[in-house]
Amino acid sequence: MSFVTILIPLLGALLARLTRGRLAAAAAFASTVATFVAALFLPGAEAARFAWLPALGIELGFDPAGASWVLVTSAALAMIPAVLAAVRHGRGGDASGFLALLLIMQASLNGVFLASDLVLVYVFWEATLIPSLLMLGLYGRERRRGAVTKYLVYAVSGSFLMLASILALRPLSGAASYAFVDLLPAARSLDAVVQTWLFAGFAAAFAVKLPLFPLHSWLIDFHRENHPSGAADVAGTLYKVGGFGFFAWAIPLLPLGAQAFQPYLLALAAVSAVWGGLAATQQGDLKSMLAYMSLSHMGIIGVGVFSLTEAGMTGAMTLLAAQMLSTSGLFLLSGMLYARRHDFAFEAYGGLAKSAPALAGVTLLVLFAAIGVPGLSNFPGEFLALMGGFAASPGLGGLAVIGSVIAAGVYGVNTYQRLYQGKPHDRVPDLGPREVMILAPIVAGILWFGLAPAPQITSIDAATQVALTTDAASESPRSAPPLALGGER
Amino acid sequence: MMVAPDSVALQPLAPALTLLIAGSLALLVSVFSRNVRSGGVLALLGLVVAGTFASLNLVGAAETPTATFGLQWLTDAPAAALTLVVLVGALLAILAGWDALVPLDMDRPEYYPLLSFASAGAIVMIHAGDFVVLILGLEILSLAVYALSAWRTSDRGSEEAGMKYFLLGAFASAILIYGVALLYGATGGFAYAEIAAALADGAGPLALLGSTLILAGLAFKVSFAPFHQWAPDVYTGAPLPVTTFMSVVVKAAAFGALLRVFASAWPGMLPELDLMLAVLVAATLIVGNFGALLQSGAKRMLAYSAVAHAGYLGLAVLAAGQELIGPPTVAWYLAAYTFMTAGAFTVLAQIMGDDPRGDRIAAFEGLGRRRPALALAMTLFLFSLAGIPPLAGFFGKALAVQAAFEAGWSSVAVLALVMAIVAVVYYTRFVWAMWFVRGSAATPTARSAAAGWATALAVAGTVGLGLFPDLWYRLLEGARLVVSAGL
Repeated sequence: MSFVTILIPLLGALLARLTRGRLAAAAAFASTVATFVAALFLPGAEAARFAWLPALGIELGFDPAGASWVLVTSAALAMIPAVLAAVRHGRGGDASGFLALLLIMQASLNGVFLASDLVLVYVFWEATLIPSLLMLGLYGRERRRGAVTKYLVYAVSGSFLMLASILALRPLSGAASYAFVDLLPAARSLDAVVQTWLFAGFAAAFAVKLPLFPLHSWLIDFHRENHPSGAADVAGTLYKVGGFGFFAWAIPLLPLGAQAFQPYLLALAAVSAVWGGLAATQQGDLKSMLAYMSLSHMGIIGVGVFSLTEAGMTGAMTLLAAQMLSTSGLFLLSGMLYARRHDFAFEAYGGLAKSAPALAGVTLLVLFAAIGVPGLSNFPGEFLALMGGFAASPGLGGLAVIGSVIAAGVYGVNTYQRLYQGKPHDRVPDLGPREVMILAPIVAGILWFGLAPAPQITSIDAATQVALTTDAASESPRSAPPLALGGER
Repeated sequence: MMVAPDSVALQPLAPALTLLIAGSLALLVSVFSRNVRSGGVLALLGLVVAGTFASLNLVGAAETPTATFGLQWLTDAPAAALTLVVLVGALLAILAGWDALVPLDMDRPEYYPLLSFASAGAIVMIHAGDFVVLILGLEILSLAVYALSAWRTSDRGSEEAGMKYFLLGAFASAILIYGVALLYGATGGFAYAEIAAALADGAGPLALLGSTLILAGLAFKVSFAPFHQWAPDVYTGAPLPVTTFMSVVVKAAAFGALLRVFASAWPGMLPELDLMLAVLVAATLIVGNFGALLQSGAKRMLAYSAVAHAGYLGLAVLAAGQELIGPPTVAWYLAAYTFMTAGAFTVLAQIMGDDPRGDRIAAFEGLGRRRPALALAMTLFLFSLAGIPPLAGFFGKALAVQAAFEAGWSSVAVLALVMAIVAVVYYTRFVWAMWFVRGSAATPTARSAAAGWATALAVAGTVGLGLFPDLWYRLLEGARLVVSAGL
């Protein structure tokens, strides 16, 4: 079943590329729906392993357990509206190329989430690079060249350093293969110095894609210069997989390395959370505001992951999955607003609630979800992540809590006011039927994560426990007490 | 691995003999027919028959490696595999140049015979079990390629390339031969196995000096820095079909020889040589990648890229002592390298046509719109050369780096991947120009069915080896070199 969720979008991409116009759109839409349906079957699916290059212990292995299926499902849900939003865009009204890129992106991301072999993770990791670059390079705005170059340099520098760590891991540890189950015991027996160096390689790639201050600047340019429809930004939102990399691979395999880096990474994550939040309050245009808001969320995810506590890591992955929906929703809403005014600057807006009350209502709901209002998608994850951060380091955790939460309130409310309240410029149309279809999956997902997060949290928590279990050989004190998750169930 | 020295047998020689016969027949035909292509057909036929023999050898040698003619001709799985790589490289080079000979004013009948003889020389080098046979193969190969580099007599650049390659190549051969003589003086043997036996108790200064000179001579042929300087000039000056041949066949032969010398003549007994090799590899990685970064023409960029890839192959040679890892990695990487490099040169030839300055980046602009299939193929080759998965180049790099880690050269392995970041930049520049820059539609591109077939074959190899790396690796698994033959 894991394999199916990668294969369907690939087939969809092929169909979309080979056809034109409505047919391509229908193929892309059908494949996103099919992927979502397939993703629903992931929780019960078995792990699968096939030989690929057995002499080197490289295999095609997929395992939907832990955080993987949650992220795939959430991404699949966000991809349906992204495709719907993209069908009208592209050169000469034909979006087939763009749709194909979106779907290839989805397939590669699902691969990153599901792969249980480290080399395979790297293959998918790099495979995401090409569609995202092409999306920006072919369909971006005027000043995209700088954004592409910056993005390429950041992404490639990180990933080749990670490749060095990956390829060193098996020879140095003597593991039988690159599969997670084989690597886990072998890698943990490496001594602390080796683990620290190897962790540094992973951190280079994952910190860029988390992204972590000060490696975040590609992200801002990436969102600013991408196609104004918001569909590409959805792909960009799903693309922030660095936190998952730390959670699923670097921390479990190299616990001693993780401990050596923890203070620095935790501090950088806290700074990202606060810096992103503060910068978001200062932006004059919607797209930049959303980009910084997203950076702030990623900082909170980082705080959770680097807390190395059960609550923090579980919460971070829950938030990662949940913010896929809220952030994607806001980017798609920004595309809808752009379609009405052809501008992202806040000055062009104001008083829209009068003529477009439904648009205003949905925006308010998604904004509330994004800033972590209880009962909506981001709250459980954000709460747990910050709690973990606080347990690990009251100072840094406290900084992240205060800075990011207060800033979120400010930019959330400010944004709504500047867009929808005040003196109306002129009338704009309210949500059309296509826009309702685009927003419905987002709203459903936000409510799902807000009201019934228990299955996701339970599954992610199991993976966290594996990551944090230390065997007797590398027993080390961990500051955080075990956490009861009863409140969420 | 030990095998009993056999006396005389023809089957291990069959691939080389076939090419010699095909080349001689082609030469004979050229006396009666002015059409250069009749020789070409014979050369292609020779490659196919030789390929069949090499495949049989690969299957047979995996079971029972043989040493024939005393210890002079070693037939083992790596030798058979590298022979196949050489034949594929020669096939791609012939197809790439099939329609280009007339426009480039190169349609003289000795062209195809020389290519056949050069390939035969390459096969001799790969199978050589002693230094005399190695030198013999090297000279058969080199003399033919010297002539081929200067083949385009109407072009001063081509003449310069031939002259330069000849002078520097002769110099390198002399150094190699001097080294062999010194090593003979120290050990009393030419065969690798005899030398290894004599050095088993440690090497004296004479043996060390001789070995160092041999390494320098071979480093010239594989274009390790600082012995690489001929490569960019010769690759740029020589006509493109010849450059294609040189970049893949000469490299495969030289690496086959280097691997065998390191694995069997100096098998881990001379740590000084391992260190020298590591330094050369590190220098090659740095010089090749930064050199390529500074180029504005595609030909020179690909020439420096070939130098850089010699560095990655060198990583695998560092693991020559690990008999289960080194030889299969070298053979696997060379196959991947042959497909992607020959592919890139083939496409470049189609982009350039007969315009000597047609390899500027401006010629690539807008290619994605004018010739989307060609641009897509070039993108695949360049991404593969850069090591982007899931293409062949990625697994090549992964295998080579892994081999260096296994051999304990972690610092060189990490350096290789850091340099790979630089590589992405210079390859991507051309990809960017093809797809994202609107070019002047005036730049013409040559069309050729044969070059199209070569491109298709190279794409199949680049993508196929990437998606199914085990299909080729399985044949090489356990491909041990014949190290000492019954001594």
